[in-house]
This record gives sequence, C-alpha cells and structure tokens, in this order.
Amino acid sequence: MTTFKFTESVKMSVRSIASNKGRSFLTALGVMIGVAAVITLVALGNGTQKSVEQSLESLGSNLLILYSGETKGTSLVRRNTSNIKPSLTEEDLEFLNSLSPALITVSAPESSDSGQIKFGNKNTVGTVIGTNLNYPEVRNFYPIYGSFFSENDLAARKPAAVIGARIYKDLFEDGMDPVGQKIRINGVGFTVTGIMEEKGSSSSDTSIFIPMSTFQKYISGSDMYALINIQASDPDTMRELQTHIENEILRLHKLPNMDAADFYIANQLDLLNTLQGVTSTFTLLLGSIAAISLLVGGIGIMNIMLVAVTERTREIGIRMALGAKSSDILSQFLTEAIILSVGGGLIGIFLGITTAIGANRFGGMASSISINSVFLAFGFSVVTGLFFGGYPAYQASKLDPIEALRYE
Amino acid sequence: MIKIKNISRHYQMGPNTVKAIDDLTLNIAEGEFVSIVGPSGSGKSTLMNIIGCLDSPSSGKYTLAGEEVAGLSRNRLAGIRNKYIGFVFQSFNLLGRESAVENVELPLIYAGIPPKERRVRAMEILKRVELDGREFHQPNELSGGQRQRVAIARALAVNPKILLADEPTGALDTKTGAQIMALFRELQSEGVTLIMVTHDPDVASQAKRIVQVRDGKILVDVPVEEWNR
Ligand SMILES: Nc1ncnc2c1ncn2[C@@H]1O[C@H](COP(=O)(O)OP(=O)(O)O)[C@@H](O)[C@H]1O
Ligand SMILES: [Mg+2]
Repeated sequence: MTTFKFTESVKMSVRSIASNKGRSFLTALGVMIGVAAVITLVALGNGTQKSVEQSLESLGSNLLILYSGETKGTSLVRRNTSNIKPSLTEEDLEFLNSLSPALITVSAPESSDSGQIKFGNKNTVGTVIGTNLNYPEVRNFYPIYGSFFSENDLAARKPAAVIGARIYKDLFEDGMDPVGQKIRINGVGFTVTGIMEEKGSSSSDTSIFIPMSTFQKYISGSDMYALINIQASDPDTMRELQTHIENEILRLHKLPNMDAADFYIANQLDLLNTLQGVTSTFTLLLGSIAAISLLVGGIGIMNIMLVAVTERTREIGIRMALGAKSSDILSQFLTEAIILSVGGGLIGIFLGITTAIGANRFGGMASSISINSVFLAFGFSVVTGLFFGGYPAYQASKLDPIEALRYE
Repeated sequence: MIKIKNISRHYQMGPNTVKAIDDLTLNIAEGEFVSIVGPSGSGKSTLMNIIGCLDSPSSGKYTLAGEEVAGLSRNRLAGIRNKYIGFVFQSFNLLGRESAVENVELPLIYAGIPPKERRVRAMEILKRVELDGREFHQPNELSGGQRQRVAIARALAVNPKILLADEPTGALDTKTGAQIMALFRELQSEGVTLIMVTHDPDVASQAKRIVQVRDGKILVDVPVEEWNR
C-alpha cells in the first residue's frame, strides 16, 4: 500500500467512523473492555503475586523451619503447635548452634500456646510464644518501642513479655507507655519490656513473646521445643543444608530415616516456588479470561464490519465503477476495522491502567501494571482489527461491481 | 474507439441460459454521440456495462482504444474505467454522505491525484456544469437535475474519452432532462464520445446515431436523420 493510498484510506475510514459515532463506539466497546480487562486483571494478578512474595520475604530471609511432628508440608506460616507433641530438644538446638556460620547465621527455638491476656480490666486473646534472643533477627521482626526481653530474663526465667502491636492496642490506652506495666497471661503476672512492630498480619500482631525458659516453666511445663527457626547463610545451599540437618537430627533422635521422623523441615524457597506457581497460574487464568473477552470484542468488530459492507454495497459498487481497485476497497474497510479496534484498544489501555490504579488506591487491592500486558493488549487489538476486519474487507473487495451497483 | 465483434453475454439461470447479449457487433468512432434504444430487457444495460468495462463478455472480442479488453484482470479493468470512462446512471449513484465536490473528487482519488489538485479540478468541473455555489451541498440538498449534473461532473472529472449514460434523464422531468441533453451536446462538440441508453424517443433523437437492440441483437443502426423518417 502506498502512502497515498494509506492516507486516503485513513481519511475515508475516519469520515465513515465519524458519520456513525454511536455505532462506532459500540463496535469499539468490545475491544475496549477486552483490553481494559487484560490490563486490569493482569495487574491485579501481578500485584497479588508481588504482595505474596513480599509478605514471604518479610518472614525473614533464607528461612528454614524445623518443625515437630511427622506431617510433611511446606507451611512457614505459624500454625497452632499446641496440639502437636513437641519433639525438638535443647540438644538439637545446640547441634544447630554448633554449625559453622558459613552454614547458619542464627537460629531460634519457638513454642507457642494461646493465652488469655489481661491488663487492668481489659482482656484479650493472643498467641504466647516462648523463644530466645535470636528471634527478631531470624524472623526479621523487631520491637518498635522498648526492647526485646533480655539475656538476663532468659537465664533467670523472668516473666518478661514483648507484646504485639494489636495486643498493645487492645490492652492499653492510646499513647500509654506499656514498658514496666504488669499484664497477666493466663493469670500469671508478666512485665512488659516492649512493643513489636506492626506486620499487618494478625498472627504476628497478636503474639506475645516471652523467654523460652519462662514459657517452659509457666505455660508448657515441658523442656521440648515445638519448632526451631533457622536462618541459612547462603540461599544457594539451602537444600543441601536441609538434608544435612535432617540427617543429623535423625541421628540425635536415634531414628532410621525420614519416614520415621518426628520432625520435618519447611524451606522458604520451596514455599516461594509453590506460591509463585500458584499466583502465576492465577495471573494466567485472569489473563485468559480477559483474552477471551478480547476475542469476543474482535467478533463484534467482524459482525459490524460485515453489516457495514452489506449496507454499503452500493457505495462499493459506485467506487468500483469510478475506478477503485479491489485493493482500494480492501484497504478502506480494513483500515476502518483497524482504526476501530486500535482506537478501542487505546481507550481500553487508558481505562485498564486507570482501573488498576484505582483498585489499588481506592479498593486497597494489590495491583502492579505490567508493561508487557499493555503491549500485548495493544498488539492483540491490532491483530484483532486485521484478522476480524480482514474477512469483511476481503468480502467487500471481491464484490462484483454490477451486482453491487444494483444492490438496493 | 470502440470495436465490438460478435460478443455474447450469457447468464445461467438454473437450467436456462439467458442471452442478454447475443452475437452482437458494433463499432463506435471517437467523438460520436450514440443513443441505444430498445424495449426493457433487451440487453441495453448489459451492453453498456460491457462497453464500460464493468462486465466482461462471455465470448467475442472487444477492443477499446486499440486494447483488447476481454480477459483483462479486475485491476486492469478498474484502471481503464478510471482513465477512459465516465458513468452517468439513472439513479445518479452519488455518495449520500459526501458533498457535491467530494463526490466529484472520487474518481480523482483512485487516479492518484493529490488532495489539493483534486479539489481545484473538482471545483472547476462543477462550475462547468453550472453548480458553482452548490459545491458543499450534500446530494439530498440538491434537486434531481442538480444531482445528475454532479454525477456528470464526477464522470467528467478524469477527462474520460467515453461518457456512458444509462437512462440519464429517466428520473428527471422534461425540462431538466432537456438541460442535461444540452450539456451532452456541448460535451460531444468538445470531442467526448457519448453513448446513451434511453426510452424516450425525443431524448434519443438528440444523438447523431441510433442503435436499436432487441433480444441482445442489433435491430437497427442508423444516423438520427434516417431514424426520424
Ligand atoms: N445479473 C443477471 N443475472 C441474470 N440475468 C440477468 C442479469 N442481468 C441482466 N439479466 C438479464 O439479461 C437481460 C438483459 O438485461 P438488461 O441488459 O438489464 O436489459 P435492459 O437494460 O435493456 O432493460 C434481461 O433478460 C435480464 O433479465
Ligand atoms: Mg437497463
């Protein structure tokens, strides 16, 4: 197509589109909605994936969790461990601590139980977690006010407690300094040493951290740990480290193999991979739903273009009689379809981006606009115009001039 | 200019073959003004379409300005129509959404004339058919005679050698019809070859030569003086 023909086709198409504004808009609407849906849904899928990854990373990096119990699984999210018989010992922890810093940065034992928390006449429920001083580092979870309990608290089994952000809100007046205040956990008096930062997840924010020794004395009455958090030094060797720890703990527990094990290890990488798999499937699914609506939009264009060709049969005949070649007619109708679908696509991109941003800003949904999806949607709308406009345009170009002139 | 030798045009209608043109031979020289007359269904329009390269004969030879037309591709035929032939139809066949001047520009678009030159030429031709002042009117804002003059202007836009008019006055009253015929005579005096189909004997006798067809064959082919006798 020469530039001359191209500009003429564009002029004719713009006139024809403008002369039938309502119908042109409805025709382009399908593509508009399709493109907007692709961009919005992919943005929401991506956003969910990113926020899941972020919250996983906020658990701490290179995390391995050694759990009591034989259930295999990859859950890194704290479960209620109170009904699983704790099987991890101080000996296990000492073994982990004896490993080279090239393998393990830090590890922290953890046992938990739900507890009734009271301050004055206020009352709430939380998860009481016994642990040691390494916990903030391994879980990447630090006090924001006051301090974590001390070495001395741990050694002397003191009733010291660091409270989660929600617990603080539930028990204390806004702005009140809780440090040094006495709260009651299941009836036992504890002195508050600090408030943990807000994580946004209720399991973290309703926790109360107390020294492991104190937990064993007042709450569990056992010297076993429910789990041990382990921070690996090198993400690339986490799997080897996991196997090494499994073998050593089996030996310490005098067990033959992992089938008989009373513990298991969850690996942050495995979880990340699983979740990434799930969320990318989710994104793909949303993307395909959107692509189907784009397809429907394309069929809408074809439908209207076929109607337009029929309606304008006489016009086509006149143009042919005056010397229009088949290619002139083809390019006229094809250009019209492409302008409709690309125009719809551009408006759809604008709508999609606006919706994705709006869903995030006003709907609180995680959304992350993917440039690829914008290009993909745009490309798709060009192809839609070419493909679904191509057939009607071809039909128009193949009309017999005499038949077309005679058409009423 | 036009050399038609033993052409036929057949339509297959189910089991029957309709011979719209049946072994017809006709020569028309450059600058002639010919009326084609005959009863309805006698093949006048089919003949015009073949002469105008809108249709191809089923058999026979058609030479236009020295070029054998039968067997040319659709694209070549479109080129010939654009360059050599102007059509005027009974029902005007203007594009309703375009103004008079835009309608006149249509063949110039397909001739590849740039927009500015197109506009200048279209305005000139509209002036020539005495439609200055009406250039930007849409067809539905014009009278029948004015519409037909727009159609004639459009047919003349590319300076065609041949003007084909299929019942050009059929939709007009006698007075406007006479104006159109005056315009045709003027065009003929300028050297345009004019071929016109008509039912009206008065209109037909405005030409210099009368061809009467029946059942796809030529019955009579005489100068107008002889016809009037
Ligand atoms: N497309 C067609 N299909 C079938 N028959 C046709 C077609 N066009 C014309 N005919 C037939 O050819 C004959 C000549 O038609 P036409 O040239 O239109 O006659 P006229 O213009 O003299 O009235 C008629 O019998 C008509 O029915
Ligand atoms: Mg006819």
